[in-house]
Amino acid sequence: MSVLANKNTRILVQGITGTQASFHVRRALAGGTQIVAGTSPKRGGEEYFGLPVFNNLREAKKQIEFDSCVQFVPAMGVKAAMREAVEAEVELVVSIAQGVPVHDMLEIKSMLKGSKTMMIGPNTPGIITPEEASLGIFPENIVSKGCIGIISRASTLSYEAVLETQEFGQSTVIGLGDDMIIGSDYREIMQRFMADEATKALVIIGKADNSYEQAAAEYYASLENKKPVVAFVAGIALPYGHTMGYAHDIITHGRVTVTDKKNIMRESGMIVVDNINDIHKALADLHL
Amino acid sequence: MNIHEYQAKKVLAQYGINVPKGGIAYTPAEAKRVAQKISARGPWMLKAQIQAGARANGYFSGKKGGKGGIRQITQIANIPNEASQMLNKTLITSQTGPHGRLVSKVYVEEFADVKHLFYAGMIIDSSAPAITLLISDDIIENIIQFADMGKGKFLRIPLHYDKGISDEKIYEILNFLSLDKSYLQSFHDFFGKVLFTFINLDATMIEINPVGITPEKKLLAIDAKINFDDNALFRHPDIVKMHDDYEEDERTLRAKRYGFQYNEFNGNIGCIINGEGLALAAMDTIKSHGGGLACSLNIKGGVDKEKIANGIKLIMTNPRIEGVFINILGGFMRCNMIAEGIISASQDVGLSVPMVVRFEGTNKEEAIAILQQSNLPVIFAENTDEAAEKLIAQMEVND
Repeated sequence: MSVLANKNTRILVQGITGTQASFHVRRALAGGTQIVAGTSPKRGGEEYFGLPVFNNLREAKKQIEFDSCVQFVPAMGVKAAMREAVEAEVELVVSIAQGVPVHDMLEIKSMLKGSKTMMIGPNTPGIITPEEASLGIFPENIVSKGCIGIISRASTLSYEAVLETQEFGQSTVIGLGDDMIIGSDYREIMQRFMADEATKALVIIGKADNSYEQAAAEYYASLENKKPVVAFVAGIALPYGHTMGYAHDIITHGRVTVTDKKNIMRESGMIVVDNINDIHKALADLHL
Repeated sequence: MNIHEYQAKKVLAQYGINVPKGGIAYTPAEAKRVAQKISARGPWMLKAQIQAGARANGYFSGKKGGKGGIRQITQIANIPNEASQMLNKTLITSQTGPHGRLVSKVYVEEFADVKHLFYAGMIIDSSAPAITLLISDDIIENIIQFADMGKGKFLRIPLHYDKGISDEKIYEILNFLSLDKSYLQSFHDFFGKVLFTFINLDATMIEINPVGITPEKKLLAIDAKINFDDNALFRHPDIVKMHDDYEEDERTLRAKRYGFQYNEFNGNIGCIINGEGLALAAMDTIKSHGGGLACSLNIKGGVDKEKIANGIKLIMTNPRIEGVFINILGGFMRCNMIAEGIISASQDVGLSVPMVVRFEGTNKEEAIAILQQSNLPVIFAENTDEAAEKLIAQMEVND
């Protein structure tokens, strides 16, 4: 079992002919990920890694079955790529691009509302279910099949979380994306991990900015049967209001420091560690 | 990206928003000429142009308690003298930090005859997510003050991205400001235009502090501040042209040129990482061991050897550095390129402070071998916590 992606997930790569895409598609295929096709404007009809390439998702949908997309499109193309995905009713889209304009994300969020599409990212390493599927750029060689689910809002720290959970292995690792506005937040993903048989405990990596962690804690507190969550929130040493992304949320919703965030998470029942290198010990103490 | 007040007003005026008549001046004599051109009679406003707020309550270097960076002047003859007290002087405000900012130009404006002043700010609330309008009748010096203001002290109105501002929302504002229905049209017109500007120019903040209401019930932007989304600047070449390099320090600018992000803090450790999360974790871990960052360089996405070496030099030549902390999680970024960058930078500028390096991921072993062969006094660590502990211990030895 796993969350969002497994060996049966049929994946189409948007922007398959780009350099980044080529590198990661080759790796994912070698690892057994079921990539079935790709899109690339004006390249329809070609073959890439033996996979059919279509001009767009509409054309692809007529000829091939797929349920998920990975986008290797540049930041400025994400809005158009998301519109295609929403119109083609793709269930899951992982968007890797860094630097998507925030106003584009506002538009994308309103497109997603009421649609059949779930978006992960942007600015994320993606999703990886060890030995089954890789949607994004997570290196396969550091993950191993196991019982810890990881959800992270800090891309580079998700690798740290993987290293901390090596003894237990991972059910699925999901990067929500580092940006101010993201496609999906913790709650939607936590819900799935709570229902996943393979996952015995969750690791959550949060950040100083925005209010996503508070919402996650609120959701966790409301659960009746819950799996243990070990959480780390980065940025306690960050000078207050250092980034505008941070300021926006405290401006609109009141001051919440990293310490406040940690307290809120602790009160919800999560095990909150102060140092990222304490995650392993906290998990070991659970005797999973 | 930020722009100056005079530029922000020009932008707003282009979108049909009323602003006081004004002009920019680089010398005292020019300030007088601009004033005469704007209006035959005073008073005039003289405003130091720096990209930081709270100018009125600030002071010029060496003149603590003296007059600030926004002044009302009644006699035309006094303008050159007042302008010379600002030009090429350093203005210190609650938002500039202790070093202040050098004033290289002043904005001369007609005095606006307004009867009611209030605060208006437009930002993006990421949790909704929605563009959000903030209104306050109180004096706000820094937008961050809203964080500590109680509910009811200010008005927060989420705006629909594609629906604009409804009459109901304008009534809400009027009600909050105790104004009657006769202001509906001018408020609707004003905030509709502000929203249009915000969306059209990919702004992340527009602050009009204050908005003034004229006797004719027109709204006027007395002050203006606009921040733009750096990621969307490719759509706005005209805005990019407004960038003032003098507003950023040299290291930040140079790091940007290499495609990296440089930040400064109050401590004494220089930190090189590849990713924002790593930067935060480095800062937290160093703090937990009793240290603090002086500066950090995020070389995420760096693939050019020369740029990496130059970036590392920016950190190593910072005079406040007493130790260097390097934490690289190699993925795209190959650890050996960082190792080569460290060696090349050390050859150019020397390595006189302790340096702890933690490599993980792509080409980790190769990177460690390269550094070991270089005979540089580099200390290696296996994880972030160990790296911070070793660095601070070594810095204490050096003391």
